[in-house]
Amino acid sequence: MQTTVVGSYPRVSNGPEGQRLRKAIAMWERQEISREDLRRVQVDVLREVVAEQAAVGVDLVTDGNITWYDPLSHFAAKMDGLEVGALERYFDTNTYYRRPQRVGPVHWRGPMTVEDYSAAAAASAAPAKPVLTGPYTLAALSAEGASEELVMEFAEALMHEVKALAAAGAPHIQINEPALVLRTDLPRGYNHIAGLVLRGKGNAKTTLFTYFGGVGPMLDDLLMLPFDVLGLDLVQGASTLKALAVTDVEKGLAFGLVDARNTKLEDPKAVAKAVLAFKDRVPLDRSYLAPSNGLEFLPRARAREKLEVLVTAAKLVGEATT
Amino acid sequence: MSNALRTTTVGSFAKPDYLQRARNRHSAGKVTAKELDGLTRQATKEVIEVQKELGLDVFVHGEMERGDMVGYFGENLPGMRPGELVRSYGNRYYHKPVIASEVRWDAPVTVDLWRYAQSLTDKPMKGMLTGPYTIVEWSFDEHYGSRREAVLAMARAIHHEAEALAKAGAKYIQVDEPAIHTRPGEDFDLAVEAMGVVVKGVSAEFHTHICYGDVPKIYPGMLRLPVTQIHLAFKNANFELLHLLEADPWDSKKELGLGVLDVHDHHVESVEEVKEGIKHALRLVPADRLWIEPDCGLKTRTPEEVRKKLRVMVAARDEVRRDLAL
Repeated sequence: MQTTVVGSYPRVSNGPEGQRLRKAIAMWERQEISREDLRRVQVDVLREVVAEQAAVGVDLVTDGNITWYDPLSHFAAKMDGLEVGALERYFDTNTYYRRPQRVGPVHWRGPMTVEDYSAAAAASAAPAKPVLTGPYTLAALSAEGASEELVMEFAEALMHEVKALAAAGAPHIQINEPALVLRTDLPRGYNHIAGLVLRGKGNAKTTLFTYFGGVGPMLDDLLMLPFDVLGLDLVQGASTLKALAVTDVEKGLAFGLVDARNTKLEDPKAVAKAVLAFKDRVPLDRSYLAPSNGLEFLPRARAREKLEVLVTAAKLVGEATT
Repeated sequence: MSNALRTTTVGSFAKPDYLQRARNRHSAGKVTAKELDGLTRQATKEVIEVQKELGLDVFVHGEMERGDMVGYFGENLPGMRPGELVRSYGNRYYHKPVIASEVRWDAPVTVDLWRYAQSLTDKPMKGMLTGPYTIVEWSFDEHYGSRREAVLAMARAIHHEAEALAKAGAKYIQVDEPAIHTRPGEDFDLAVEAMGVVVKGVSAEFHTHICYGDVPKIYPGMLRLPVTQIHLAFKNANFELLHLLEADPWDSKKELGLGVLDVHDHHVESVEEVKEGIKHALRLVPADRLWIEPDCGLKTRTPEEVRKKLRVMVAARDEVRRDLAL
């Protein structure tokens, strides 16, 4: 069993050196440094968090979403037809995002994540996985909500991004759809929408990750979607475990079993045991152990310790299944 | 003081550079607690002077002693321990505390500085507390494992602090609950119950401040909160939220705190746009129950921006009073 992360990673840590990105952004906002100066610091921190994940032993790393203001406006600000508006709470977290508002037809303007992916790939011994916020979540958290038309426009825009990432050599691309947990069924036509997003993926493997809640009632439908791996938050979404217990799964799962929203550390043995309960129903050799969602909700040192729990638990699963 | 369109602010002011430097140096062990306290009081005095100069009706002490509204209680309530930095949005971070054991209240936390601030002015000084729901929601709970148990334990601790402020003479006590709409369907009732625990038997006028997030989901339910005033951030979305009050009338016994300045925008509002918002609100809430305030704490803005924005707020209030002969 391999290990991966969901996307974000804490971008500051204790001490002056750990806060260099925060300082650089403040200086850039005051126009004391150039955009290029800021980018240098961003890439430096991005490399550091990639290296940190790899050093702990994570098999499939991310860029930590280091350059994202938030998971919505990072994309909305880079697409045509959208403005970035008021601050809104991001799900039930203590973080906020700027709400996108459609002001015209939404179009892909150019790569939004490729540079960061390339920087991560170059800095990592382990393969890097770019992450995109999915079309349903982008629409559902925008001012007008998830109209079919808007979801479709986002899907078309993301299709171009997936294509650009595949062309840049991304071996694995992940679509994050946390807003699906707010529903009890898949949005109408989501299979088609997912197919559209992934149309240009080439040989890249793909993951769909849902988090901040359970998806039990739609688990069967999620498993039918054209992704190689389905990522599940099994902490805040522990209710999904019940549905999972009676489902035979053919594709890989990303078991989000380590709580990325609480500092309390799990016992790796307990995490391994929770995974092993599914060894006869889920192909563990194609599956991953993961945090329940992005790790940015934790302090940096604790995020790293959570990764250590993941890696240790994955080893225990490996030992128990060979 | 006329009761029509009273002005106040939500709580925090930007820390002057000398205080921020001293706080950093204190963390590094290079400034003593006594030295830091002296500078905190100096900065508090400056905040009071600004409010005097602007002619606000009810003052705040500016929260010069607090890193942030939750972290501060994490540092001072037994059972909690200070946390490390996590991001809240954009480039803003806070020390997210940890609930490590049973939360208690042993002694007043905020009263000394409140007393000092009140001694500098005849205007009423608000006591400033963070609400139990928000403290729990914005902390890591390693102890209770049940939101209900944690929130009610926190409410008992904050109740003691409110009681201490009232005993010291605070006429107004604000209990901030910006996290109250985090899970509106799931546990808004818990937040209301917790506020009831905080205010029970305390003789003061309670205000609460709620900002951002899904306010429509808790309106009109929020009118069940046992407080005199509910303050909401209106300017952030150009007074769009006032439509809620058009659909469901405001409680005739409650005051509305109208946020008229966007604290996340460098742009200084015009007097006209603030007046327009106030006049819109006056069609829904009478002047003696409508308070004029910024959207949120002012610590996000520079001292110069704060002055400019508050000047606009007071000028708009004065013009509306004149226009409508209030």
